[in-house]
Amino acid sequence: MNAARLIFDLAGAIAVVFAGVMVVHRNPIKSLLAIVVTFFALAVGFVLLSAPFLAAIQVIVYAGAILVLFLFVTMLLNLQTEEETADRRPFQRFFALVGIVAFAGMLLAAVRRSGEAAGSSGLPPATGAIEPLAQALFSRAALPFEAVSVLLLASLTGAYILMRRERSGSAAP
Amino acid sequence: MSVPLTDVLVVSVALFSLGLCGALLRRNAITIFLSIELMLNAANLAIVGFGERVGGYAGQTVVFFAIVVAAAEAAVGLAIFVAVFRHHETIDVNKTNLLKW
Amino acid sequence: MTAADWAIVVLRPLVPVLGAAMAVPVLTWAERRGAGMIQDRPGPNRVGFFGWRAFGLGQPLADALKFFFKEDITPDNADAFLYTLAPWIVMFSALVGFAVIPYGPSIPIAGRSVPLVGADVPIGALFIFAMAGLSVYGIVLAGWSSNNKYSLMGGFRSAAQVISYELAMTTAAAGVFLSSSSLRLTRVVEAQQGSLLRWNVVPQFFGFLVFTIAAFAETNRVPFDLAEADAELVGGYHTEYSAFKFGAFFMAEYIAMTVGSAFIVTMYFGGWSLPFFHPRGLVGGLVSVAVFAAKTAFFLGVFIWVRWTLPRFRYDQLMRLGWKVLLPLAFANLLWAALLVRTGVL
Repeated sequence: MNAARLIFDLAGAIAVVFAGVMVVHRNPIKSLLAIVVTFFALAVGFVLLSAPFLAAIQVIVYAGAILVLFLFVTMLLNLQTEEETADRRPFQRFFALVGIVAFAGMLLAAVRRSGEAAGSSGLPPATGAIEPLAQALFSRAALPFEAVSVLLLASLTGAYILMRRERSGSAAP
Repeated sequence: MSVPLTDVLVVSVALFSLGLCGALLRRNAITIFLSIELMLNAANLAIVGFGERVGGYAGQTVVFFAIVVAAAEAAVGLAIFVAVFRHHETIDVNKTNLLKW
Repeated sequence: MTAADWAIVVLRPLVPVLGAAMAVPVLTWAERRGAGMIQDRPGPNRVGFFGWRAFGLGQPLADALKFFFKEDITPDNADAFLYTLAPWIVMFSALVGFAVIPYGPSIPIAGRSVPLVGADVPIGALFIFAMAGLSVYGIVLAGWSSNNKYSLMGGFRSAAQVISYELAMTTAAAGVFLSSSSLRLTRVVEAQQGSLLRWNVVPQFFGFLVFTIAAFAETNRVPFDLAEADAELVGGYHTEYSAFKFGAFFMAEYIAMTVGSAFIVTMYFGGWSLPFFHPRGLVGGLVSVAVFAAKTAFFLGVFIWVRWTLPRFRYDQLMRLGWKVLLPLAFANLLWAALLVRTGVL
């Protein structure tokens, strides 16, 4: 049990606990805050797995931009606490839970049996340095890099068009 | 001094299952979307874990693109939610069944 | 790891944090006296110690006592948990930025060479950007949980402002990373050593302008303080806050200002280094720390100076400036920096 493993286990536990809070909590704002904590804990995990750049990207992009967008939309729609209605569909929920537990059990069994069997690709181990990642991104992955920028432009345009109010014809600020 | 792969995968499986629970059992569209993002992150964690085990930077590259694509998808998805909400005044997925007979 | 090792690991990030915490009272005093100087009036000069007026230096202490003893109100329909949490999120995101800013060279202590930086992470500046992004949560939650229209509007406006100027700031910073070939802040400082012309403000002047203006916007300082605009939004996102929680917001703003100044100094003005001074040993290290503190203090003075000189931006003017002026300028600066690096000038 070394320090890295201990911290990762702690971060993983926090991530799982707050993910549980997210799934269970009725209030969408509290759910969102819980998942922010989960993403933070995951960023800590990334650092421990020699991916500090990804940890920074996770916090800046995921926790700091995507979830803020979620927060804005939730507040814009003024979503109240989810109410209990008559349409509870207990059978569906029960079977869904059973299915998920079975699925998780299956995955865990697979993990336990073959967790350490992953081989090595012969490449040198990843250090915390960013230069090799940048080299990979701009040389081998240059095409996906450019394609993803076009994708972002497309999603930006799509979001704008979807959000436009048809009647007045002017965009929401 | 490194993290054993089993630990990483257990956390990843737990997060994925919780995300799946949320996506299947909740009625609030925002929470469903958050659960989907949680599943994406669980997968990202697994990929980074394997990438670290295997060496090289392929894992980190894949996750980089996964995060960016998730951002694009979240933007469009939320725009759709807002558009649906404007039409229906609710975001309960059990009530937005326009296309059903 | 011996006891000395642990002590060093703990003290390295603590020194700038404590420095900032101690600087905040001085800053409040300097702000109000500076305001007085610019507005041709004395400013607070009565509160002193034991009958000696002391140029009003007791004023910060009086302010702090006031914050402690005022009644701590929580509005009726406010979400108590979020309402209490919000100021601390902002405080945390401001304070933690000090963990990666280098405030001195490596000095020999107890037989080992200790770099004067909290943690020399390979992602350096990205860490500060990540933590600055977190402050959005504190602001929006403060606005929303106060259950008050004006707070909500202030919170949203501030969040939109922070997100927009974050982009311009990181793009301007990308120019600096390009020229120093690294994200590590110690490398950025190293690359600026040697001569005054190597300070990044000289080749990348417009990047420096964009970065500084964006830093003003990120810390919600005038002319970008629309979120707390006294005349328009009552108090913006901290309208409903009183006593200690308001004090926390107040302190967090000053600490963010200090981090912003320290960051500007590190990225564009050579950090702790002076052009023809090669620090040697412990004394050299301490002199470098003093140099760093002096440069940061200068920029804090600029923050204060600008606050009491310029009028506030209107919201649409603010957005237009961030997206249509600063962002293209930052991109142009990035291209320029790339050109300089490619032709070997930098």
